[in-house]
Amino acid sequence: MENAPSRLTTRAGLAVLAAVSLLALVETASAIVAPYRAPTDADWRAAAGAIRAGFRPGDLIVAAPAWADSILRTHLGDLIPVEVAGRLDDERFPRVWEVSQRGARDAAARRGAVAEERRFGALTVRRVERDPEPVRYDFVARWSDARVSRRGAAGASVDCPPVGDRAQCPGAGDNFVRRQIVEVDTRLRVALLAPPASQATTVVEYPDVPLGRTLVVATGLSNVWMRKAAAGTVDLRVFVGGAEAASFTTANDDGWVVRRIDTSARAGQVAAVRFEITSAAPQSRQFALAAEARR
Amino acid sequence: MKLALPKLDARRADWLITAALAIATMAWLLAVEGRQGFGRDEGQYFRAGERYWGWFEELGSNLAHGELTRSFSAGSIDRYWSDNAPDHPVIMKTLYGLSWRAFHRCHCTGPTRGLHPIPVKGRHVTLPLFERESTAFRFPAIIFAALLVAMVYRFARGWLSRPPAAAAAVLTLAQPHYFFHAPISCFDAPITTMAFAVGFAYWKSLRSPRWGIAAGVLFGLSLGVKHNAWLMPIFLVGHYLWMRRGDLRARRFPRPPLAFVAMLVLGPIIFYAHWPWLWNSPVARTRAYVNRHLQHEHYNFEYLGINWNNPPTTTARKLLRSTAPFVETGLTVPVTTLALAAVGIAVLVRRRRGQPMVDGGPGEGPVAGDGRPSWVRPGADVDRAPGAFMLVQTLGPLAVLAVPSTPIFGGVKHFMTAMPYLAVLAGIGVARLLPVLAGVLPAGRARLLRAAPVVFAALVCLPAVVETRRSHPDGLSHYNLLAGGFAGGASLGMNRQFWGYSVLPMMDAINRDEPENRAMYWHDVIHDALNMYKRDGRLALDVGDTGFGEDGLRRSQVGILFYEKHWAIYEGWFWDSYGTTKPFMVREREGVPLVTMYRRGAP
Repeated sequence: MENAPSRLTTRAGLAVLAAVSLLALVETASAIVAPYRAPTDADWRAAAGAIRAGFRPGDLIVAAPAWADSILRTHLGDLIPVEVAGRLDDERFPRVWEVSQRGARDAAARRGAVAEERRFGALTVRRVERDPEPVRYDFVARWSDARVSRRGAAGASVDCPPVGDRAQCPGAGDNFVRRQIVEVDTRLRVALLAPPASQATTVVEYPDVPLGRTLVVATGLSNVWMRKAAAGTVDLRVFVGGAEAASFTTANDDGWVVRRIDTSARAGQVAAVRFEITSAAPQSRQFALAAEARR
Repeated sequence: MKLALPKLDARRADWLITAALAIATMAWLLAVEGRQGFGRDEGQYFRAGERYWGWFEELGSNLAHGELTRSFSAGSIDRYWSDNAPDHPVIMKTLYGLSWRAFHRCHCTGPTRGLHPIPVKGRHVTLPLFERESTAFRFPAIIFAALLVAMVYRFARGWLSRPPAAAAAVLTLAQPHYFFHAPISCFDAPITTMAFAVGFAYWKSLRSPRWGIAAGVLFGLSLGVKHNAWLMPIFLVGHYLWMRRGDLRARRFPRPPLAFVAMLVLGPIIFYAHWPWLWNSPVARTRAYVNRHLQHEHYNFEYLGINWNNPPTTTARKLLRSTAPFVETGLTVPVTTLALAAVGIAVLVRRRRGQPMVDGGPGEGPVAGDGRPSWVRPGADVDRAPGAFMLVQTLGPLAVLAVPSTPIFGGVKHFMTAMPYLAVLAGIGVARLLPVLAGVLPAGRARLLRAAPVVFAALVCLPAVVETRRSHPDGLSHYNLLAGGFAGGASLGMNRQFWGYSVLPMMDAINRDEPENRAMYWHDVIHDALNMYKRDGRLALDVGDTGFGEDGLRRSQVGILFYEKHWAIYEGWFWDSYGTTKPFMVREREGVPLVTMYRRGAP
């Protein structure tokens, strides 16, 4: 053993010795106990059974933390269709089932009142009820209503007719619009994929949209490899009834940005809504767009 | 009757402990390596190692036919040695190939014959130490890990008594991320061994000329292991200039020491000599190798919830990015080890020139002599500055990875050369606390006083060993007590894994699946890894591989997806192609998903 001069038996030394010893014991105990704190398959099955028993069409089921989502879908994926999993946001849902572990909460379940809460081992199931934002018109679901065209720099316009799963603009193969599961900010969304054209404007127009009080528009740049490859931004202008209502610029790091346009002055009316997409640097830009007219 | 144990002198006792630590390291790693799957890189190195063996096989054949020079023709060299070039030099891959050839149990002429990268000419005569071929490939890496543990003990013994030195050695191995890399046929653990060996040799060379030559040889071998050997001299020069700062103050440039001269001379010679691929076009191919790493692309890597795949451009992102090596160290190394290292750092900071590292330990001041500086013993007339040495060896690798433009895709493995020194710091911390412990024990209890250091060293190693055992075989996904384990790391948005190694525990389920589900999409598992799983008998031979990317996925009946932040787009392809968001199976650790399996048409 090392020599032990008197100064080594100071309070500070003892405190460090005690702290390190205690830390070693706590860390060892934690490493042994922690695996047993994780939810078991039986916990998941029980939680899934309870949700199935109370599930109604139109409900949203989420995992908290979100990284448990794939396990959640293993048990309840049949109740989470692609359109729900790739939703624009959470506001349309009147009831949210949250399967939580380790005290985590999901943003979708923060708004509203907890109507039911039950524990299943390491999992907690909460049913949250809240005031939803009813969707009057889903631009992605109603994709077949849209008329797509491309307007050149000189103002001349050409139609982009439906070809298979997309509206294909003439000339450039990568100038199209289609409904697709897109990846934006490493999360999946169901959206319109509209790569911008070079020196032209891609126009997506819905002629008869029943407006509510709000037009919710979400944008992002899809495909992690394309975001890595280029840095150009994409501009979106939104026209309601022929008048420009808003314009946004979307960049690589923006993620999936949800913006709200006030249409309360036209609530209850039917009007044309037009999206115009441009980019000064359109290379490798996989622009994704989703929108809903609400309330 | 009392059993009379032979008395060991101090030197023999140390060698016995050194050997015991090395053997225990090998035993632990060999006992568990089979649970750890093959990453993309390891699959390639299996292939390259076996192909390099092919050159030796041909060399033997040519020698037997009196045509030795044929093996040294440009065509023959390139046929074998172009594999995995210019990516990495070949010392480890060659050792992996030779080990495989020597120690595997040959089923090579059976149904897996066509899965080898070189033709199997007949049944291999081997010393069949290992049941699995992959273990035979991995054996050299395991030996290198054992060497590291042994060296850490020897190095620490230069300053510390046996229990804290042994603790340093154990804490080197008992780090979940190091332990993950230690047994696999890659280079990160071996270069950690070599970096420590070079540092150790340099340290001894400060007072011993023969170690100066050894430092040069070891540096040359390091250059043949992995490119981060390039950084070693920078750290050592930093220490040397600090140690000889008296020369600078006296306005004379310190003499280049023998170790640096040897590294400068022997390093390039050994590097060129070891790599046949360079022989045909040394300058152009060396340039290609250097550029491959100086211009290395930024692979995707998750850190604090952000997917990093380009150099950051904004100040905020640069600052955040620069924290990566420090935060990753703080969240992956066992916390008790970190706490002890902090005590060790305090010891070094408080130490004064000429004082021993710990009370009662050997001094670090000038040794007896004529007091004149000598280029062959440049640390003899000055304090060797152990604090500065530990500082550059620990912080140096982290500092390089803190530069925002440096790719961080390897996580801890990119600065793992710092970890043995961190463990030595922890050993110093243990040594510092032993006198405190002695002070609280009853003075008359001699047996207790003798046992206490061993018990305390064991106590502080216990969490690291338990944590490391817990982490296996998913060490990359594991985070420490501060982070909250697997789940805490996931919640913090820390990287969970890379290169598709974590599928191995799913093999039984894959093998049991129905015959119509043999068209499988393997995502990030490369074909070389699949071949090895089949050669090892762990994957049924009729399980197919539908190929890479979206096309491969759309051709498949069953497919897997490794969780990494940037792979989300692949899950979208599954949803679209398979028509469901419902996975068939998820492989998880403590509730954290690692691999998701989809099956087409599953209910």
